[in-house]
Amino acid sequence: MAEEPTPSYVAGEIPHGAVTAALIGELQAAVGKRYVLSTPDELLSYEYDATIDRARPQAVVLPETAEQVAAAVRAARRFDVPVVPRGAGTGISGGALAAVGGVVVALTRMRRIIEVDAENRIAVVEPGVVNLDLSKAVAKHGLYYAPDPSSQRACTIGGNVAENAGGPHTLAVGSTTNHVLGLELVLADGEIVWVGGRTRDLPGYDLAGGFVGSEGTLGIATKIAVRLMRLPESTRTLLAIFNRLDDASNAVSAIIAAGIVPSALEMMDKMIIHAVEQALHCGYPLDAEAVLLIEVEGLEESTAEQAGDIDRICCESGAREVRLAVEQADRDLLWAGRKSSLSALGRYFPNFYVLDGVVPRTRLVEVLRASNAVAEKYGLAVANVFHAGDGNLHPNLLFDERVPGTTAKVLQAGAEIMRLCVDAGGSITGEHGVGLEKRDFMAWLFDDADMAAMARLKRAFGADERFNPCKAFPAHRGCGEVTAARIQRAAAQIGDENVYV
Amino acid sequence: MSDPAIASRIDGFAAAVSHLQLPVVDSGAFVVDGLKPATVVCPKSLSQLQECLSEAHNQRLYVTTIGGGAHLHLGNVPDAFDVGVCTPGLDRIIDHEPADMTVTVEAGVRFADLQSALGEHGQFLPLDPPGDDRATVGGILAANVSGPLRHRYGTARDWLLGTRVVHADGTTSKSGGRVVKNVSGYDLHKLYVGSLGTLAVIAEVTFKLAPLPKVDRTVGVACPSPAAAQSIISAAHERGLAVVAAELLSPPAANAVCDRGAWTALLRVAGGAAAAARTMDEIGDYAALAEGELTDEPAAWERWRGAFGPAPLSLRASVAPSHAAALAETLDRRFAGDAGRITATSTAGLVRMNLSPADDVRASAIIDHAREIATQRGGFVVVDAAPLAVKKQIDVFGPPRSDIEIMRRLKQQFDPERRLSPGRFMGRI
Repeated sequence: MAEEPTPSYVAGEIPHGAVTAALIGELQAAVGKRYVLSTPDELLSYEYDATIDRARPQAVVLPETAEQVAAAVRAARRFDVPVVPRGAGTGISGGALAAVGGVVVALTRMRRIIEVDAENRIAVVEPGVVNLDLSKAVAKHGLYYAPDPSSQRACTIGGNVAENAGGPHTLAVGSTTNHVLGLELVLADGEIVWVGGRTRDLPGYDLAGGFVGSEGTLGIATKIAVRLMRLPESTRTLLAIFNRLDDASNAVSAIIAAGIVPSALEMMDKMIIHAVEQALHCGYPLDAEAVLLIEVEGLEESTAEQAGDIDRICCESGAREVRLAVEQADRDLLWAGRKSSLSALGRYFPNFYVLDGVVPRTRLVEVLRASNAVAEKYGLAVANVFHAGDGNLHPNLLFDERVPGTTAKVLQAGAEIMRLCVDAGGSITGEHGVGLEKRDFMAWLFDDADMAAMARLKRAFGADERFNPCKAFPAHRGCGEVTAARIQRAAAQIGDENVYV
Repeated sequence: MSDPAIASRIDGFAAAVSHLQLPVVDSGAFVVDGLKPATVVCPKSLSQLQECLSEAHNQRLYVTTIGGGAHLHLGNVPDAFDVGVCTPGLDRIIDHEPADMTVTVEAGVRFADLQSALGEHGQFLPLDPPGDDRATVGGILAANVSGPLRHRYGTARDWLLGTRVVHADGTTSKSGGRVVKNVSGYDLHKLYVGSLGTLAVIAEVTFKLAPLPKVDRTVGVACPSPAAAQSIISAAHERGLAVVAAELLSPPAANAVCDRGAWTALLRVAGGAAAAARTMDEIGDYAALAEGELTDEPAAWERWRGAFGPAPLSLRASVAPSHAAALAETLDRRFAGDAGRITATSTAGLVRMNLSPADDVRASAIIDHAREIATQRGGFVVVDAAPLAVKKQIDVFGPPRSDIEIMRRLKQQFDPERRLSPGRFMGRI
C-alpha cells in the first residue's frame, strides 16, 4: 500500500530515535547529573499540563544557562529524539506535553531577572521567571509587566512567549507579542542567537514577532527583553449586575461603540456567580444572570469620567445595579470573584474543560447563546467567565470524567463550540494556543497554502518535527493516539470545509 | 533593456497579462534608485494581482511592488527591476464594523482615505508617518513607517491583526484573522511589516482601531536648551499625562514646523476633557520651570509631515530613550552647517535628521560620522534617503546582526529565485 504523501505544511518527519542510556549520559554531561530526570516517579509530574491530555517524556532536563539548553538540544538531535520545551506546565492547549515522547527541556531553573532598566522601561529576564514576580520586582520603580494571564502567579514569561499569552488587561495593552522586544534563542541545531533587541526600530525582518506565539516549535527562548509600563495613577473598577445575559452582552458592545476602551472588561454568567458566591460570599446576587467586571486606568480625571460613562451605559443597557470601587481593597474584593472563579467551580464538578474561542464583539450575544445550547444538547453544565471586551470566550464545560463516555461528549461539545466561533468570523484560540488540543481545527481557519507559508518560517529557523512535534498544526502520520485523536474525530464529524476567507 | 532575452521575456509578460486590459501607466513615474522598470502593471483585484505576479515569475522577471510611491527612497539599491506592480487599484474598504473596532481593507487604499472613512465613525488607525498623501496602507506596512503618535500608540505591528499576501509565484496565503485577539498559526503578518516587499506582496490587511479622542490639542514649548525642552517631555511621560505625541525639535526643525527658533517640545494632548485640562495645566507648570514659551500650534503636525518627508539625506538614529535628547543635541551641533533639521521621538529613542549636504562626499562623511556618534551611545543609524552615488557605496541598514542568517533563509524560503526587489533589503537580501 502506498504511503500517504506528507502535506506541504509539515516541516520534516517525526523523529524515530530512542532515549538510550548513552543519551542520558550526554544530557547529564550537558546539565549535570542532578538535573536529568528519567525514572517513572520523577517523570510523573511532567506528563501533565492543565489540559485533559497526558503524555510521558523519557527524560526531563533542567538546564540553568543558554549553553546548557544548547548542549541538551544538540544531544537530543544527535540521537534523533524530540525536544519539548516547558515552562511551569500551566498551559491549556497541551503545548508542553511530549506528544510522542522524547526529552522535555524544563526552564524553571532559569528564573533570574537579569536586568531592569527603569529609566528606559525595559527588563531582560530568563524564561523561567514567573509572570507576577516580574511585576513585583519592578513595582518599586512605579512600573509593571502588563500581560496578566489568570495563571500569572505560576506561569512563566517563557511560556507566555510561546503561547503569546493574554489576560484580562489585553483589551487595552495587547498580548505578550506587544510587550516583547527581543529574545535570545537556542535554535533546533543548538545555535544561540538574538532576534530583535531593545527597540522596535531595528532594521530587518521582525523575527521576534514571528517567534512569539510559535508554541515552542521554532526554538527555546533563553533571554527575553520586555517592555515595562508605568503603573497607572488611578484605577476604578465597576461591577455591573444584569438580569439578562443578552443585556450584559449588549452593554459590552455599547461601551466599545462609545469609544471607551477599558483596561479590562470581563463577564461572568449565572453558573460562575453561584459558584463564586457560595465559595467566597463576595456579595454577588444569586438571581442575576450575568455580571460585568470593568476596569479603567489612567489619570484620576480620566478614570472618573470613563467610570461615569460606563455606569450610564450599563444602566441604559438594563443593568439593575452598578457598584464602583476606587480603593485598592474594595477593588480587590470585586476582582476576588473573577480570580477564584475556576477554583470555585470545583465545588460542583471534579473536572472542567476550559475552551478559548474568539468572536467579533458584535457577535457575542448569538455565539454565547449558541454555545450554551451546544452544552445543553450534550447534557453538560457550562460556566462562562471570559474577556468579553475582546470577544474572547472561555466556556468551561463541567463534568466528571469517572462517568463513562463523558470525556468524549465534552470533547465533541468543545469542537462544536469552536466551530461556532469560526463560523462567526472568529478564531479557535485567543490566548491559550493551538497546541495538541486544537491542531485539527486549524483547517477551519487556514488552508494548505496558508499553512505551507507558515512552514517556511519554521524551516527558516532551522526547526523541523524534532522540535516540539505534533503541535500547533494539523496532525500527520506519526503523531500517535493521544486524546487529540479523539478531537480529530470530533472535528471530522463537523466537516472540514474552509469557511474562513 | 539592451539584453534582447529580457526584452522578449518582457514582451511575453505583456502578452500574458494583456487580456486583463490593465490601464497603461508611464513607467517613468516608478523609478527606484535610477532603475526604471520596463513595464508597470496596476491590477484591480486580488486575482489580477496574483496573475501579474505569476506571469512575471513565469518569465523570470524581477518585480518591485509600489503603492503610492511614497517610500521608494527606502532600502538599498535593488539589483534589478523589470516589472513594477502598482497596488492603488486594490482600493476597496472590504469591511468596517464600527462596533468591533476593526477594519479590513485592500492594500492599495490610500491611508488618508482610510482615515477619513474611519473618522466618520469616530475611529482612526493611530499611525501618522511623515510624507505626503500618496501613501497607501500596504506601502505604510511594507515600509513600517511611523510618526509622532508612536509615543502613545506604538507602531504598525501593534495594530495589525492579519494579512493576505501574494507570493512571488502568484500563489496567495493568509495569516492572523479579523478578530482583535488571535493566537492561531504563526504571525507571518508581523514579518511582512517592514520587509519592503521582499518576502511577498501585501494584498489585504485587517487592523484594530482606536477611538478618536474627544479633545485633541497641540502646544509647542520653545526652550532655552534641548535639556529644558526634553525635561517637559520626560515629566509628561513620567506623570502619565494625556499626551499622545511628544517630539523634541531642533531650532531649524522648530522653525520649519512652528516658526520657532529654539529647541521646542511639541506635545499633542488628547483624551477626555478633564484629563486634557489637567494635562495642559501641568505642561504649563513644567514649561514655566523650563523657562519655555508655550504656544498653541494647531497646524504643527501637518507641517511636521511635510518637513520630515524624504530629504536629499534622511537619517534615522535609534538609541535608548534616555540618550535621545543628548544624541539630538550632538547631531545638531555637528551638522548645523548642512541645513540639518532634527525631530526626536525621544520616549522611543528615535532621532530623525533631514539634511541637504553640499555634495556626495559630504553626504558620505555625515553618514559615517552620525553612525559613529550613535554607535558610541549603543545605537545605530538607518539611512532612509541619500544621493544615489552614496547609496551605492553603503548598506543603508548598517552592519547586519547575528540573526541575518535566519533572515537569509527566510528570503530563500519565501522567494527562492529572489524575484521580489532583490538586493533592496538588509544585508542586500
